[in-house]
Amino acid sequence: MMELQSKIAYISVFTAASISIFVVESYIPQPIPGIRLGLANIFILLTIIYFGFKEGFLVGILKSFMGSLLLGRLLSPSFLFSISGTIMSVIIMWLAIKFGKHISLLGISIIGAEIHTITQILLATILFFPEASFIYLLPIYVLSALVAGSITGTISYLLFTKLERKIEIA
Amino acid sequence: MRSSGRYRPIKIGDIAIIIFFLSSLFFLPKVPGEKVEIRVDNSKEFIYPLSKDRTLDIKGAIGTTRIVIKDGRVKVTKAPCPLKLCKKVGWISKKGEQIICIPNKVYIRIEGEEYDGVTE
Repeated sequence: MMELQSKIAYISVFTAASISIFVVESYIPQPIPGIRLGLANIFILLTIIYFGFKEGFLVGILKSFMGSLLLGRLLSPSFLFSISGTIMSVIIMWLAIKFGKHISLLGISIIGAEIHTITQILLATILFFPEASFIYLLPIYVLSALVAGSITGTISYLLFTKLERKIEIA
Repeated sequence: MRSSGRYRPIKIGDIAIIIFFLSSLFFLPKVPGEKVEIRVDNSKEFIYPLSKDRTLDIKGAIGTTRIVIKDGRVKVTKAPCPLKLCKKVGWISKKGEQIICIPNKVYIRIEGEEYDGVTE
């Protein structure tokens, strides 16, 4: 079992990393609103794997909250989308880690990305555009989430294999 | 540590997940059409809204093709061609769907409203 201090240190570093990636990434222009890589998810995923659900949930909430605060869109619709997507994807990724024995980081990351996007689309449809065309955009979003999830999943796997030894030593 | 057993980059479950999401693309709702575009011999072009019911007789290369627009759907009811493939297609109504009659050189395609997502 890891010492408490080093656990706190790791979670802080992961949180800081996911917040900064989230903020930097939001400055990259998006071809269609909501289509982006979601690199911040890498650290949320690693936190869930190393430390568990509670810690991952915390990192996710902090990422959305602090990230939106830094970008000046706290409590705006995009914050609402961000935090609901994050909460749902954290829950689903944790379930996938817990019960999916035959799923590796790639699959977990894809599930997380998909749930994140689908939650946002459903929310956008229900809250803002009920009569809407958003549901017809689902194929584009599902496909892009698949690609984004594969990329972040691969990066998480590489980071995971690199970090594993260090975290165990610590 | 919960991490044991995740050293392999890809497992069977991942492939299942990818296949699941890829195949789900086919079951998602398609964009409903707005208007029908009819092209004859690649030169003449007609565009009609799907909202109004009507019957059209289009003169093609070898005869007359009868196209029916009803309840936002389009169908070919009479065709001069030998195989009648265009009739067998039946009703079309979603964006991107098409009926092509090669002998008569008639090309029918549903056009939709563009959803570019710039609503933010």
